[in-house]
Order: sequence, then C-alpha cells, then structure tokens
Amino acid sequence: MKIARRRFTASIPSFAMGDIGFLLLIFFVILARVQDDSHVQWDPAALPDLETAGAPMASVAIDSAFKTYLNGEELPNDQLLTRLEAILGDTPAGARNVFLKVHKEARARHFEPVIEAIGEAGGDLVHILEPEPETN
Amino acid sequence: MKLRRGKLLVDPPAASSSDIAFILIIFFLVCASVQPETGLSQTLPRTEAKEEKKDQSRNLEVSITPTSIVLNGSPLQLPRFRERLAEALARKSREADKVVVVKSAPDTAYDQWIRVSQAIDDAGGILTLELASERTITID
Repeated sequence: MKIARRRFTASIPSFAMGDIGFLLLIFFVILARVQDDSHVQWDPAALPDLETAGAPMASVAIDSAFKTYLNGEELPNDQLLTRLEAILGDTPAGARNVFLKVHKEARARHFEPVIEAIGEAGGDLVHILEPEPETN
Repeated sequence: MKLRRGKLLVDPPAASSSDIAFILIIFFLVCASVQPETGLSQTLPRTEAKEEKKDQSRNLEVSITPTSIVLNGSPLQLPRFRERLAEALARKSREADKVVVVKSAPDTAYDQWIRVSQAIDDAGGILTLELASERTITID
C-alpha cells in the first residue's frame, strides 16, 4: 500500500509588503532629493504677469548664502559654462530650457556671471519667480 | 448576585496602517510634483566679438544701481522708465537697434534687476548685459 505524502502549501507572507513598499519609497525619495535642488534655500523675487515655465534641461540656483548650484550640486561659477554645455549638448533651440532660481537678496556680482554662463552655453533662460499678489 | 461582565480589549486593526501611509505618501508626492513653476523667459544674445560692437552707440543704455534706474543718462522711477523706454523703442524699426545695454552696479539686488529686465522685455527691447569685467575705465 502506498501512503500518500501530505502536501504542505507554502505561501509567501504578504503581511509586511506594505511596510517594505513604504521603506522602498522613502529610500527612493531620499535618493531623488540628492539629485534635485529642493534642498537649496532661496526666496524667489515676486513679479506680476508671469508665465508657466516648461520642463527644464538644467536648473541653476543661487541660494541665500549666494552659493551657486547646478542641478542641486554646489559648484564654482567658472565651471558652470562647461557643465551646462555638456548637459545641453546638441539639443535644438527652444528645448534648451535652463531654470535660474536666484535668491531675491542676491546682488549683481552674484547673478550676472551665472546669467552670462547660461547665455554663453546657449541655454534658454527662464527666471523662476513667484507671482506677485494683486493689490486692489 | 450581580455577575461582572468580562471586558474585552478591542484594538483597531493595524494591519493596513502601513498601506494607508503608503497611499498618503504617494498622494502628497503627486501633489508636490504637480505644482507648476512660474517664471520669466529671457533671450540672451551671446557675447559679441569686438568688431561687431560698432552699432553700440545707437543702442539704449540702462544703468541700474541699488537706488536708481538711469536711461541714457536720465535717472527715472520704474513707472516712468517703462514709459520712456517704450517710447524710445517704438521709434526704432530695425531689430538690431532694439538692443538695450544694461549695466548693473555690483550691489544691485536681483529683486530690482528683474523688474527692470521685465520692463525691457515688455517694451520689446533685447536685453544685453555689460558685465563689470568688460567695462572700460578711462583715467585722465
């Protein structure tokens, strides 16, 4: 007589899947923060009649300590042109958007060399600003 | 005799808390990324070679300091500057003559600079920067 072996079903425990997903998400959010410039501290200047900016190829920021950042990475102004040219490559004009986020208290000696570098690299400069509240 | 009813501890089900947190995070991430950024586009001419500067005497010149805006030697307030600039640019027909050369004092705040820049853009001018390193200082 042949005795049938008992079959045990082995299922993967799915109870902790939510926790795993949550931790993975935190991990990727932190990783993404390293690449963007959301950690840069700056207050935008306010202007009326602004337009919605399109998607940028690069983002240059000058923070409240007047340091320059390219895509969230701090770098000296003299390296900005070379790095921007490498990022923009042969992209046709009109699609070479470079966002410029300047702290409103920055001075011409801080932002003019940056604007010059963006212009020299052939970037389509977009000043990122805050819409000015309407006064009645 | 009164019998005491046994009290049962009722815990809210916590098994799905992490799933709720996950969905909430997705929601806030999507909300944050959807916010559009507003700005001001600016076309910047590339640095001119020295021999191309012969037309520069015809261009309008704007000097910005922390306290004043000077258009071709006349200090103006921003509203008046807008009017005078629009009048001056309306008289120019060639695109090359609409270049407005902007010289900023090193201490000029971005807040003020961008307002002047917007005024030039609105008047149909082509903004060109003259940087401190390019200026010629003549000493007698």
